[in-house]
Amino acid sequence: MLNLNDLHASVGEGDEARPILKGLSLEVPAGEVHAIMGPNGAGKSTLSYVLTGREGYEVTSGTATLNGENILEMEPEARAAAGLFLSFQYPVEIPGVPVMTFVRTAMNAQRKLRGEEEISAPDFIKKAREVGGQLNLNAEMLKRPVNVGFSGGEKKRLEIFQMMMLEPRFAILDETDSGLDIDALKTVAAGVNALRAPDRGMLVITHYQRLLDHIKPDRVHVLSAGRIVKSGGPELALRLEEEGYDGVIGEAA
Amino acid sequence: MATDLKSIIPNANAAELELVARYAMRGEDPRRERAFSAFAASGLPHRRMEAWRWSDFRAALPALEAPEGAGAVDPFSALSGPLIEISASQYKLPSELPAGMRLIERADADVFAPAEKMPLGALTAALAGRKGAPASLVIEVTEPVAEPLRIVARSDRSEANIARITVLVRPGAHLDLIESHLGGAGFSSYLLDLTLQAGASATRTLYQIGAGDEAQAITANVEAAAEARFTQTALAFGAKIARIETRLTHQETGSHAVLNAAYLAAKGRHVDLTSHIRHGAEACTTRQLTKGAVLAGGRGIFQGKFMVPRKVGQRTDAAMQHHALLLEYGAEVFAKPELEIYADDVECAHGNTCGALDGDQLFYLRQRGIPETEAKALLTQAFVTEALESAPDLAAEILRAAAEAWLLGK
Ligand SMILES: Nc1ncnc2c1ncn2[C@@H]1O[C@H](COP(=O)(O)OP(=O)(O)OP(=O)(O)O)[C@@H](O)[C@H]1O
Ligand SMILES: [Mg+2]
Repeated sequence: MLNLNDLHASVGEGDEARPILKGLSLEVPAGEVHAIMGPNGAGKSTLSYVLTGREGYEVTSGTATLNGENILEMEPEARAAAGLFLSFQYPVEIPGVPVMTFVRTAMNAQRKLRGEEEISAPDFIKKAREVGGQLNLNAEMLKRPVNVGFSGGEKKRLEIFQMMMLEPRFAILDETDSGLDIDALKTVAAGVNALRAPDRGMLVITHYQRLLDHIKPDRVHVLSAGRIVKSGGPELALRLEEEGYDGVIGEAA
Repeated sequence: MATDLKSIIPNANAAELELVARYAMRGEDPRRERAFSAFAASGLPHRRMEAWRWSDFRAALPALEAPEGAGAVDPFSALSGPLIEISASQYKLPSELPAGMRLIERADADVFAPAEKMPLGALTAALAGRKGAPASLVIEVTEPVAEPLRIVARSDRSEANIARITVLVRPGAHLDLIESHLGGAGFSSYLLDLTLQAGASATRTLYQIGAGDEAQAITANVEAAAEARFTQTALAFGAKIARIETRLTHQETGSHAVLNAAYLAAKGRHVDLTSHIRHGAEACTTRQLTKGAVLAGGRGIFQGKFMVPRKVGQRTDAAMQHHALLLEYGAEVFAKPELEIYADDVECAHGNTCGALDGDQLFYLRQRGIPETEAKALLTQAFVTEALESAPDLAAEILRAAAEAWLLGK
């Protein structure tokens, strides 16, 4: 499904360019959920931006394919239409654009890019009610401008709301657990688990084992200084919690 | 007389000479004379005048010439209610008026009090009126009127369209005024005198659009008596040069004014929003929000002034905001917010920003699958239409749709 091979990427332009990803390789097969853990500044969010095509993040070498398709040449919106979704570490406020308008515009834009029909207004509202209900987001919140006046945890829930509405083929969750209270963490995890499917993959970036209690990853990778330095099963996350990065990375190096 | 007049404006250009000639054809009228002298003192306003340094009408209007195209389509045409159509300086008046609204035609021109401060208003006051017909057109509103009064200024390739309308809203009465300034003349100049008596209220909604070979001036002088309420909302697309200038005086205690505008300027369009608010009485409030978005080769101008005199302006509460988006490299915005406050017990706030679309927001939208052009349009629309929300519901919806159509490339 997602294949990253020897990816090098830098941030910034010209003389300011600074290499962040330094030979990152990773494979997430369809149907699997992989976790990425790693120290602050390791390049986890950079990886999520590189994959989704954010301006200022330049791939200098290596490849990235989603279902065999080279995504690096595509515009961000085309990557989204191809099924790539990012739950942002820091969701952005969009004043003046109500959540419902925004999600419907996004959904129809993706459908259009894929050559599919638009969703009808009643179907959309029905779906939004269902998903909103599962995530404890009420109708009033969905009428408000995107993320404006939302608490940290509400913003994260709204990211998952969008993910469940858009039903992407591959989702990257960048620290979606940070800022969530204990109950919200369970609700969000339930939402993520509901999306697990044989043809869908996920990359869950987190600092804490807590989230992985609810979303059981198939594999855990440690990202440090721009590379995957260690991979293992779910038990690796537990070891990290006990020994810290120094212990685990020290052993890998 | 004509020879005397010719020299009245030094170094007059062809447009000014033509305006002088038009004035000379009018009958003698001391009020017109005062207005014309006020205009002639400067001629067409130009960049060496402080209030016009970014909007040089003399340079933009070398001669009075018909433009290539007719005026634009009126976005409000589906609305019901009385309609006054103005083209090539002729008025077409409604055959029927709703209860509480009266139309009075007077033989004499009205005094235009701020003539010396508003040169294009003065020019319009001097020239407006049909030949051989009453010199002024007064709309008197004596009770709350539910239907909006629409004024549509639109010409079909005429040299000039110069018109003046006076509106008087009596105590406790209400009027919704909707104006469409659609161009179609080389020079369109419109003057509104609006008086709100005690406890009266009015909304004024403006839509302005003009071609790249047209000059437009939309001038208003508004006077608000005790507890009057005035809400102005404009959507302006500019022209070769276009200026919407509003002068408002809070004359008695407790009046309230909202002056909002959104401007969208494409290549070759110049749009100027100028206002002067005088807090000439205690405890009056003003809320002003102007938002703009400009493309490469377009120009937006905001000049706003709040004047709060020492003795009479106590307990003034006023806020002025101007925020502009430069959508492309090569877009230009000039802003001059001014607070002139002499009273001490006053709350006056202002904010003025100018910048590009937010890259983080743009990426967020694109990550969700919204293509770049659409994402920019959505963000820009959300940004500017905040200023249109003050219009009455139906009108606001029409203005929003017009802004959206423009942003999506018509
Ligand atoms: N736009 C940028 N300009 C300059 N440096 C950047 C930029 N974006 C990221 N970096 C740098 O790249 C490195 C990796 O940042 P990144 O955000 O990917 O880390 P992270 O692994 O997500 O960390 P955290 O766990 O704190 O979220 C950091 O040193 C950061 O300062
Ligand atoms: Mg990060």
